[in-house]
Amino acid sequence: MNALAAGFIFEVRLLRRSFDEMMVLVTAPLMTLILLSITEHAGRTDLAPYAVLAPALIALWTIALFTSGEIIERERQNGSLEPLVATPVAIGSVITGQILAVTLLSLVGFAESWLAAWAAFGIVVPIVHPTAFTAALVATAFAMAGTASVMSSVFVLSRSVRAYQNSLSYPFFVLGGVMVPVALLPGWIEPLSRAVFLSWSADLLRDSLTPEPVTNLVARTGVILALGTAGFLIGLVLLRRALDRLRRTGTIGVA
Amino acid sequence: MTALDGVDLVVPAGEVHGLLGPNGAGKTTLCKILSTVLLPTSGHASVGGHDVVRETADVRRIIGIVFGGERGLYTRLTARQNLEFWAAMYGLRGRTLRRRVDAMLSQIGLAERADDRVEGFSRGMKQRLHLARGLIGDPQVVLLDEPTTGMDPVAAREFRTLVGELRDDGRTVLLTTHDMAEAEAVCDRVTLIDNGRLLATERPAALSSWISTYSRVDARDVPAERVPKLIGELRDIPGVTAVRAVQPSGIRVETDAADAAPQVVRHLLDSGINSVATSTPDLEEVYLHIIGERGLRVSR
Repeated sequence: MNALAAGFIFEVRLLRRSFDEMMVLVTAPLMTLILLSITEHAGRTDLAPYAVLAPALIALWTIALFTSGEIIERERQNGSLEPLVATPVAIGSVITGQILAVTLLSLVGFAESWLAAWAAFGIVVPIVHPTAFTAALVATAFAMAGTASVMSSVFVLSRSVRAYQNSLSYPFFVLGGVMVPVALLPGWIEPLSRAVFLSWSADLLRDSLTPEPVTNLVARTGVILALGTAGFLIGLVLLRRALDRLRRTGTIGVA
Repeated sequence: MTALDGVDLVVPAGEVHGLLGPNGAGKTTLCKILSTVLLPTSGHASVGGHDVVRETADVRRIIGIVFGGERGLYTRLTARQNLEFWAAMYGLRGRTLRRRVDAMLSQIGLAERADDRVEGFSRGMKQRLHLARGLIGDPQVVLLDEPTTGMDPVAAREFRTLVGELRDDGRTVLLTTHDMAEAEAVCDRVTLIDNGRLLATERPAALSSWISTYSRVDARDVPAERVPKLIGELRDIPGVTAVRAVQPSGIRVETDAADAAPQVVRHLLDSGINSVATSTPDLEEVYLHIIGERGLRVSR
């Protein structure tokens, strides 16, 4: 727990001095304005929740991809991974703490998106089912952190991190149904998208913003948490393997 | 590529042990293996009785490590924030953590700059912070890999005092360095390493005497017409490895046998050359002798 907290506090301190790492939070409200201007111009006010939610989810995923995903590689480039490995701490806990800090800060994107809609269009998207919304948001943050831990372990072994990061953005926005619900996409995509926690998150968050009752809240939240837990477990296994490989090849300190 | 080969070294508890060698000799590789950062392909190494491959957690609990160079610090954070993070990595928390961080900042002379960002620090200040980071966990065994790189002379002298304090505390220190004076000043024993092989392990003073077989004899005021003949005669003495004329009117003789230098001196005196001097090699000369003709070339 100490290592987790230390990683969390450390990352918060670092991000306060490195806001460039969270630049997506600057562009997220702009994307909200673009999407809302389309839906409003088309007279589809019923799609406002979609337009507000999508940029926040995109920001969450993008920050996980580009900031959380690079945490281990950043330590390596900085020359601090070697001394970190040589400490008695459970390094997975430290990295998890760091990823949780990044993920929680990236939730600011939700507030920004709502504020941008209100400030620019006077649109207030009501959270009709606050319990479902809160449960979905917490589960989504958890699952995002779990998925990011997989990314960070994979990226540290990759020679072309940027290529991976770029290829993991838009396909997952589609698979995750962040703007267009998966149900509206071609049928063959659905089995794939259901393996991505984002599709469950996006659907549940959208449902919590519409007047209709939210069905199967516990089960759907459970799926998101289960996919997140799987991410954490896979991430820890991959981290151990990645570090073993780096130790074997003598490249922990090689940037 | 074989980075280390046939290394057999025991550093007793409480000893300050120096590891001397040129770039690519294997010093850092050895430090990384001992600190569990690098897995050896074969062989056995232990720290404090714990195997570095099978008992990594036990090893990590008792070691502190300082790698050379400026990298490894979080330059956007303050010195205090850096140390607080690393202290947490060694399991410290709360008041104990804060006290330890304050003590380390004072010990390395950075108390007044504790809340400044590291990016504004000089190279020497960063190196001192590296030292503090390595010691923050109160380690029994300290691995210092080129710790004084970039330090100014005053800071380097303070570092020597610090190593003395570590010895007084009963800690074991393995120090790699290029600086012979530093090794002589702080080390109880010194090991020379090159091409991944240990060449010799001795006390700094003993090492000098060990290598006295490589004595140098200088003759001055040798009449120019006698130089060629004398050079020929001196070359015939067993144990003489090199003889050359030295401007303006001297001869320098290098030996590689313990009894060679007295024979050279006797021969010179018998030949009427009265200005003769032998010199005792310092550690740097020892180092250069052992490393030999390789000079600055980096081996594969």
